[in-house]
Amino acid sequence: MSERFEATTTTTCGYCGVGCRLEAHRADGRIVSISPAMDGPANKGHTCVKGRFAHQFARSRDRLTAPLVRESGGFRIASWEEAIARVTEAFTRIKAEHGPDAIAGLASSRATNEDCYVMQRLMRAAIGTHNIDNCSRVCHSPTSFALRKAFGLSGATGSFDDIEAADAALLIGVNPTQGHPVVGARIKQAAIRGLKLVTADPRRIELADYGQLHLGIRPGTNAALLNGLAHVVIRDGLVDRDFVEKRTEGYDAVAELVAAYTPENVEEITGAPAAGIERAAHLYAEAERACILWGLGVTEHLYGSECVQLICNLALLTGNVGRPGAALLPLRGQNNVQGSSDHGALPDTFTDYRPVTDDAVTSAFEERWGVTMKRERGMKIPEMFDAAVDGSLKAMYIFGEDVAQTDPDTTHVIQALESLDFLVCQDIFETETTKYADVILPASAFLEKTGTFTNAERRLQLVSASAEPPGAARTDFEILTTVSRALGHDMGYETPSDVMDEIAEMTPRYAGISHERIGRAGLQWPVAPDGTDTPILYTDRFELPGGRAHFAPLPYKPPGDQADAEFPLILVTGRRLEHYNAGTMTRRTGNLELMSSDWLEVHPADAAALGVADGQEVAVRSRRGMIRLPARVTERIEEGHVFTAFHFPEVRTNLLIGPSADVNTSCPEYKVVAVSVQPIGAERSAPAPARAEPMVPAD
Amino acid sequence: MRVEVDGRGVEVEPGATILDAATAAGSYVPTLCFDERMAPFGACRVCMVGMEGADAPVAACTTLCREDMRVTTDEATARRIAAATVELVLSELPEPPAPHTELARVADFLEIGEPRWQGERRRPSHDRRHPYLALQHELCISCGRCVRACDEIQGAFALTATGRGFGSGITAGLDSGFTNSTCVSCGACADTCPTDAITEGSLLELASAYTEEPGGGV
Repeated sequence: MSERFEATTTTTCGYCGVGCRLEAHRADGRIVSISPAMDGPANKGHTCVKGRFAHQFARSRDRLTAPLVRESGGFRIASWEEAIARVTEAFTRIKAEHGPDAIAGLASSRATNEDCYVMQRLMRAAIGTHNIDNCSRVCHSPTSFALRKAFGLSGATGSFDDIEAADAALLIGVNPTQGHPVVGARIKQAAIRGLKLVTADPRRIELADYGQLHLGIRPGTNAALLNGLAHVVIRDGLVDRDFVEKRTEGYDAVAELVAAYTPENVEEITGAPAAGIERAAHLYAEAERACILWGLGVTEHLYGSECVQLICNLALLTGNVGRPGAALLPLRGQNNVQGSSDHGALPDTFTDYRPVTDDAVTSAFEERWGVTMKRERGMKIPEMFDAAVDGSLKAMYIFGEDVAQTDPDTTHVIQALESLDFLVCQDIFETETTKYADVILPASAFLEKTGTFTNAERRLQLVSASAEPPGAARTDFEILTTVSRALGHDMGYETPSDVMDEIAEMTPRYAGISHERIGRAGLQWPVAPDGTDTPILYTDRFELPGGRAHFAPLPYKPPGDQADAEFPLILVTGRRLEHYNAGTMTRRTGNLELMSSDWLEVHPADAAALGVADGQEVAVRSRRGMIRLPARVTERIEEGHVFTAFHFPEVRTNLLIGPSADVNTSCPEYKVVAVSVQPIGAERSAPAPARAEPMVPAD
Repeated sequence: MRVEVDGRGVEVEPGATILDAATAAGSYVPTLCFDERMAPFGACRVCMVGMEGADAPVAACTTLCREDMRVTTDEATARRIAAATVELVLSELPEPPAPHTELARVADFLEIGEPRWQGERRRPSHDRRHPYLALQHELCISCGRCVRACDEIQGAFALTATGRGFGSGITAGLDSGFTNSTCVSCGACADTCPTDAITEGSLLELASAYTEEPGGGV
């Protein structure tokens, strides 16, 4: 292969949280091809349509290649000196007039661990506020919360290798063949070879066709299903008594609570048949080794974090944690959802989720950075937008996140951005969010930077630059450390590797991590000082006081939104294979040719009742807003529900989503929105391609 | 268990193939239909080796090791079979394989020059309907790797082996191209293809910018 290419760099994929290791091949001074690394621990010589092919976006002509500053209603190109001077002047003025807590920052779950750590240090040390958050707030913060409550640590308990080692697996609220394609392929292959798969989802996902059993449940009823499964496990004597007795606390309260969750009652709530619920419980509990995998279909709900605790209950009842083939595997949305939160880009915690309210921890960072910090947490993302609207938040530094496209209640977000005195955005493209910026700093794509990502297995893997940022664009590491220096706080790092050395020094559970040790195989935290990592957590004790895991007796409660006469259908949103989140990257590649526009999935019975034909344009209304898109009639969705993705700005799905959010973590309830659907215009035979933004060809 | 490859003893696990043992012993055995990501197929007959006590050469990829087995990877009959097989494969192609391909490397290793048989050759037949994946049917050697990668690595079941003899090849969907099949565009087929019969379209353009326009066309 090598003759064709000038150079090949091994790096880690910047799309989803699977963490595929990739070989980026260069010719003519640019990346011409990407292939999977044969020794990638998560991908084992495989990758998907995004990781392998969707890299043209990095060479797109509309990349930001120079700093932009707002002037007379528009933007003009500025020098780095001028742009950074504007940022420092604004922050210094606002800090002097309103205090440091009038400023907030967002790190990015697409950026490296080092970038996220530097960003939180910038906010905490250079500006002096804990107002720092990242986009995992809107996806897996409930997972993090619940795993810490139940087991002690915020991460998958095992690795993807446990899928192949398992006898059975329960997939709930996750569609891996679309959202996490390489793990989806691994699950499918395992199922073909005999893994007993149970799927539970409002949509009949592709993997349901390879499983033993599919439970089509109503959106927002996961808690009832999980308590129903626990009921059957206890009723039918499938509890691992020894494990429960020796390693857990709180069993009795759960047993008492779930007594009422008979399969018949749960059928009433979820719509899944009682016999299916019983069979699912037996398939999971009777397996020698069983895994549970979940995604945003569990977390993005009013009680999302509680549902993850109920998932933990099920694993604890059956002793399916801390052994090979018995893992709890949350499939993380973006490449570095795990790492951005691990590394302190949260308003309440430093690295390894150690709280800012812990005086010893905060003191250690104060000493290391030579600053003083508060002992109270800062604002979460939704609180930042509320504070901007009410005028107490004056400025934001948004790094690698398009909140105006991806956050819920879009109208409120835009009102917040418009209310700010000063907004600086650091991104690779102009986005819906940068429209409201005062300064836009041109940053780097994952192919252009160095550092580490942490995948959904808690595995830190190296990211190595295989291209240079275009024009005057710079790496995020360089931008953030320069801004910090300009604000009077010189972080003193020369390379991202120095940042990781500081993280290791300041964080006992990451003590043995260094770029050199990560090497090609990666390291799964915790990492001991001698470099020993931890593929499987909790083999003999849980990381809670006394070493025992905690059951949580949590009842089912209805979701925040309900169908009614005016809005009779429930909208679920999610991802499609060809595209990725706001589509900023994938819509600038040939993937747009593979999927050029979005559609609304409607069950045939609903379509008939509404008078909607396959391919016909429909108006979807919620209590918050309205969007238009073509309908696709399919039996893959349960009756009474509709589905679409959020990849296309011309659809703006998030206009429909209200402010309802997880009770513990403020993660938005993207998965349950009552809507009405009405046909508009004449029937068409197929969804028409909508291309509001022309695709810009590479190079 | 212990086996000997080209006079070097190696320890292998039960269930290891001769190919595994040869790799462990540092002996290169050429292969065309083998890919470590998939189950051994035993179709191409290029990995033939000599085995002490056997009447004829055996395929290294599908023959399991036995205790104290002795293997000679460059045994004369085995190499003659492998070279003749590859020479036959080359004789059907409209042009020599591109230097970066596995087929070219195997042909180099077995020191095969211009094929002695100058019969009919395959005619160029290209499918460039997919934004990334290019099919060049005339380069297909029916090793089955793409079909198996699609089944065993991805699980999309989009590719099928079709035709017989000189007319054999592969097809996506019901000969409807990648985009109208169950293909999920993962690229595993292009990744495993030893000849560029399936490859990335952009790489073909890159190659044609440097070399003379290859024979054929769309």
